[in-house]
Amino acid sequence: MQHLKTLLIKVDIDPDRLEMYNLSAAMGPKWKEICIEFTERIKKLGPSPIWWADRDREIKE
Amino acid sequence: MIVGKQKSLEEIWGMVKDYKKVLVFGCNTCVAICHEGGNKEAEILGALLRMKAKQENRDMEIETGGIERQCEHEYLDQAAEAVEAADVILSLACGAGVQFLGEKFPLKTVLPGLNTTFIGVVDAPGEFSERCQMCGECILHLTGGICPITRCSKSLMNGPCGGSNNGSCEINPDVPCAWQMIHERLEAQGRSHLIDIFIPPKNWITSRAGGPRKQKREDLAK
Amino acid sequence: MSEYKSGSNLEKVLKSGHFAFTGECGPPVGADVEHLKEKAAYLKGRVDAVNVTDNQTAVARMSSWAASLILLQEGLEPNFQMVCRDRNRLAMQSDILGVYAHGIRNMLCLSGDHQRFGDHPEAKNVFDLDSMQLIYTVKTMRDEGKFLSGKDIKVSPKFFIGAACNPFAEPFALRVRRLAKKIAVGADFIQTQCIYNMEKFREFMKQVVDLGLHEKCYILAGITPMKSLGMARYMASKVPGMDVPDSLIQRLKGAGKGKVAEEGIRFALEQIEEMKEMNGVSGVHLMAIEWEHRVPEIAERAGMLPRPQVS
Repeated sequence: MQHLKTLLIKVDIDPDRLEMYNLSAAMGPKWKEICIEFTERIKKLGPSPIWWADRDREIKE
Repeated sequence: MIVGKQKSLEEIWGMVKDYKKVLVFGCNTCVAICHEGGNKEAEILGALLRMKAKQENRDMEIETGGIERQCEHEYLDQAAEAVEAADVILSLACGAGVQFLGEKFPLKTVLPGLNTTFIGVVDAPGEFSERCQMCGECILHLTGGICPITRCSKSLMNGPCGGSNNGSCEINPDVPCAWQMIHERLEAQGRSHLIDIFIPPKNWITSRAGGPRKQKREDLAK
Repeated sequence: MSEYKSGSNLEKVLKSGHFAFTGECGPPVGADVEHLKEKAAYLKGRVDAVNVTDNQTAVARMSSWAASLILLQEGLEPNFQMVCRDRNRLAMQSDILGVYAHGIRNMLCLSGDHQRFGDHPEAKNVFDLDSMQLIYTVKTMRDEGKFLSGKDIKVSPKFFIGAACNPFAEPFALRVRRLAKKIAVGADFIQTQCIYNMEKFREFMKQVVDLGLHEKCYILAGITPMKSLGMARYMASKVPGMDVPDSLIQRLKGAGKGKVAEEGIRFALEQIEEMKEMNGVSGVHLMAIEWEHRVPEIAERAGMLPRPQVS
């Protein structure tokens, strides 16, 4: 995981955008928590450089 | 095995960015063991290059692939289709593999994705160190199984020098003094007298200094 | 009187049983001949021979052979040095012939500091031969009149062959054996790394004498006077293979401000006195690098003057 995060940094992508969570199918409430928390995290970070690049290309076309 | 280190992403990107169809091609033998150039590493690198291409708005088709090793014809034959389809091939093999791939497909541009560093061993997962300089005339039987050409920074054959410092080489405390190691090994084996024997000037003809080398087995050659 | 190997002044002084006294002079980092001559002038007449270093600490300087020639012209006897780091056997044998043709008679064969220490760390090193193989080469050229290739040399170089020895580097157990090996291979005289730990040196010399090595080879003890507390601390911690006892550092500290250099010289003089009497020691090699102007005083106070004239 650490390694993947360092790779993301190399392509200017915030490593916080990638996370690994370990839980079983029975852990419903935990799953809900993680989804909310991660969504918040991503919202704060805003669109990724990839999203911006895609959008710029669409505008051009 | 042969150890190498992947070039920096900046350097690699600089080499491939102006091409349209790029093939990132791995070698699954030596450089896979050090996790720098194997087929898996090729896929990872391919993904990173795609992300870069997207961010810089470059219309590129980055494919990945790999074979068992790039230093033998029988495996290179398998690469033909993928190689022909690409504009440029970024080979993650060691220097030998990169060149052999280039020789097999001489009209294709083949670029090195790795810096080949040394012949070495796996001290621990993820840790590799140099052991052999390929001098062509092995003297390990005279030095207790430790190579002074490789592991002594000055390649002394009648060492140690005066800079041996608490078991370390003068250039870096992380480099063990080869002659200290040889001395300890021979002492432990009761063969300490070998250190007193003068090793005369080395014949370097068999090493790379004598020119690029070739070898043939008459009984196996066609 | 048996024949000399080289007929050099240093050889004559040692062979006649005098206590030898050699000095050192580093070539300039540039072509500044005047400064070199100035340094040499301090040493003239005060030492039997002068070491001329070869790209010391892997820093590019005027070559030892060139600076040696200048010293020769100034009337001093150089100890030409060659390291194994920068030359292959062809260049070495070639330079050996060259300097001999110009009148140089003493040669020190050394490994050389690794280039990573110096100002050209990106350079490729040579190490075609190691210091022991170089000693062997010079001896073969001198006594057999042959190149390493086996070919005969027309007019072979007759050098007085020197080598270095570090009694303090690890492993200590190997140091005497290594000295023995260098002597067996052809070293005529040895200069040691500078000594501060006298106890360890006495122990070393005892082993040397027990093996009879002092009878086969002249051993000169290396002495470098401490100029300052900073120098002492630096040598103690930053220089590989150097043994500086804490007692010396305390002694220098105790001398008080402005008096450390004098205390350093006093210590050196005490060492020289002991060396004169120590069994197996044939002389002292004084390394007063960039302190050449103090050599006349040290030589005087050590009772080394006048230097013997042996015909």
